[in-house]
Amino acid sequence: MDSKPIMINYTHRQAGHCESGATSNLFNFYGYKMSEPMAFGIGTGIYFSYLPFLKLMFAPMMSFRNLPNTVFHRSMKYLGVDGTVIKKFSNERESMEALDRNLEKGIPTGLQVGVFNLTFFPPEYRMHYNMHNLVVFGREGNLYHVSDTVMEHPQTITYDDLVRVRWAKGAFAPKGKMYWINSIPKELDIRNGVQQGIKKSVYEMTKVPFWLIGIKGMRVMARDIKKWPKKHGNQKAAFYLGQILRMAEDFGTGGAGFRYIFGSFLKESGETFNNKELLEAADLMGRTANKWREFTYLGARNCKNRSSQPVEDYVTLGDMMLEIAGMEEQVFKKIEKVTV
Amino acid sequence: MENSSENKNPVYKDQNYGQYREMLFTYDEKGNFQNSVGYHGEPDRVVLQQAWDLFAERIEEARKKVLAGKASPIMYYMEKILADPLSLSMMAGVSLISVKLHCKPFFFKHLGDKTLAKYAGAFNITVEQLKKFE
Repeated sequence: MDSKPIMINYTHRQAGHCESGATSNLFNFYGYKMSEPMAFGIGTGIYFSYLPFLKLMFAPMMSFRNLPNTVFHRSMKYLGVDGTVIKKFSNERESMEALDRNLEKGIPTGLQVGVFNLTFFPPEYRMHYNMHNLVVFGREGNLYHVSDTVMEHPQTITYDDLVRVRWAKGAFAPKGKMYWINSIPKELDIRNGVQQGIKKSVYEMTKVPFWLIGIKGMRVMARDIKKWPKKHGNQKAAFYLGQILRMAEDFGTGGAGFRYIFGSFLKESGETFNNKELLEAADLMGRTANKWREFTYLGARNCKNRSSQPVEDYVTLGDMMLEIAGMEEQVFKKIEKVTV
Repeated sequence: MENSSENKNPVYKDQNYGQYREMLFTYDEKGNFQNSVGYHGEPDRVVLQQAWDLFAERIEEARKKVLAGKASPIMYYMEKILADPLSLSMMAGVSLISVKLHCKPFFFKHLGDKTLAKYAGAFNITVEQLKKFE
């Protein structure tokens, strides 16, 4: 409240995914050019889980992204960059003082926040979702300058509001989590990073020994979609279907539940290392993503006219989801044995 | 005043959704991924509208219940912050079964100020507002 204004020369660029956007922006700040899909791929942002026994906003929970901070942490680890993550603080004041100290040293700092009380956020997105990320890069008295990659321009937020979003409660509470990069070595081993990122993505999408995670989870969801209208009635089925579409298309995913970003990553790394298999996989991923979008178009018709007879048959939608799962499985089979 | 109360309780029924430009990716026939900044399409707006319509419906229902004396104000405010009993129990630090009981007027009447303050903190209102419903 007393200190003089601090403004770090940080470039804000809009991105599809909050965390990989923040990570790539931080890399760029330290002078290493990294695109958003690259950060997303190396940090293994792609994921799928379907948890019908948990309810998020009154509908079964599903996630198209990894747990919070995975992208940042893994891209640090796989590229051998010196970064720091503080998982939680004991109280609010301590967390804000740590942030202020960082800003005084000139370090832009990433934070995990909850979306519900975020004042500058689009009001229609303000639901209880605690896995959002933003980067703080300046302070003027009571105001913090914030770069949120979902928004087009940098924003400001007051001290009290920032405390509230950093200490949002509920599932996956951030507890003041913050992270930043200390230094980046001159030569980065991108090849190794891409290799490890792909390996981990393949594991998480196809090999996790739990039936609700990855491709298996998609198949379970496809089966459940077919059952919804009988089990819950038309209105509820439409709302549950809407939850899938909201998670996949809205909430800053870049469209189709990050599948476009992952395909873009495959293409970029395929071009960099001249790898034909990766380019083929990228093409397939792109077509899968287009299929996701088609699914949205069909599903949204049911959501629009909820009370009467469904426009699209739920069995058709379920079959479509199975087809998508099959296509994604092919992609991960293809890149499983790739050596970059 | 109107504006600030709207900020705290984001229920925007008549809002035209999708006014914010976001980064969107596409994949075309030639095999190129493109990203551009643009507005969300029609289907995305429809699903958002659907969710907010349901929330508004639930809040209105809870309000009627409270006015009829069938539920306690905690029920109404819980719907207003879009929470269910489980997430409210996490937010307020009260056990799940207590939250469910406190939604009934009988148990709400016997609540002490300490517990009320916990709820009020989660709802971001004062204890007086919680006691005096509308």
